[in-house]
Amino acid sequence: MKARRVKKLDPEKPLKENAARIVRTRLDEVLALAEPALEPTAAGAQHDLRIACKRLRYVLELVGGCFGREAEAARDAARELQTVLGEIHDCDEMLPRAEGIASLDTFLRTRRELLFRRFSDLWRADETAATWDAIERILDN
Amino acid sequence: MARPRKVPGFDCDEPFGEAAARVIAVRAAEVFKHSAGVLDTTEIHRVHDMRVATRRLRAAMELFEPCFPSKLYGKARREVKALADALGGRRDRDVEIEFLEQFIEEGVDLDDLERVAQLVVQRRVEQLQANDDLVPFVAEERLAKLRLRLDKLVEAAR
Repeated sequence: MKARRVKKLDPEKPLKENAARIVRTRLDEVLALAEPALEPTAAGAQHDLRIACKRLRYVLELVGGCFGREAEAARDAARELQTVLGEIHDCDEMLPRAEGIASLDTFLRTRRELLFRRFSDLWRADETAATWDAIERILDN
Repeated sequence: MARPRKVPGFDCDEPFGEAAARVIAVRAAEVFKHSAGVLDTTEIHRVHDMRVATRRLRAAMELFEPCFPSKLYGKARREVKALADALGGRRDRDVEIEFLEQFIEEGVDLDDLERVAQLVVQRRVEQLQANDDLVPFVAEERLAKLRLRLDKLVEAAR
């Protein structure tokens, strides 16, 4: 999945001003991709969201210091989502190899279901929603 | 997983280009630091650490792209991506082997044991192939060239 291009970046302007545009774009990507990924079997959408979370996380690792605690919380939330979505992806990659191996197939399917539930709970948690709202407010100021 | 190093002198109010130079210099150094022993398949965290360092470098390069001359950026980006892909190829096998070995220890039915053990053997063969594919990307000369390219990128951003 290609990252959205960030418009109006200017090397002469301060880091913070440019960084706010970049974080905003990466955050918008995460928010836009979440809904389809909440469909349990939507492996492709979950993979796309994982990539978007990874991009947001790494951007915030770099420039989060310019946006205070709210950015730290958003970085941690992105990392947690990326991790659980990565584990779901590992199951999806492994499942075709488990064909005909009943115990492995069952284990992977059960694990995937549990991981999906964890992802869904994480996304719907009030704290996660508040985390995105908080960083949006900081970026808008 | 190795934590990212703090960037000395990082300042949110400095020009974007200055920040780019500062950040890329630190993130590039992390990639080279983690290249030692990366081909050792008994120490799989090394590939993981170098791969994560490469990801962080790529993220920084993409972030600061407007600060670099496009040709110079394009070449460096392609080279870093090729390195990341080669590391990823090895890492995928490492992860699968680790998972399957743990599954054998903890969850496999005896009826399936032989087939899962075969899967591990297949993954081991693929791991060695992926390691061979990685060799040219982590050769000293290639890394030295990449370092030079990234140094130029840092200079150009200032």
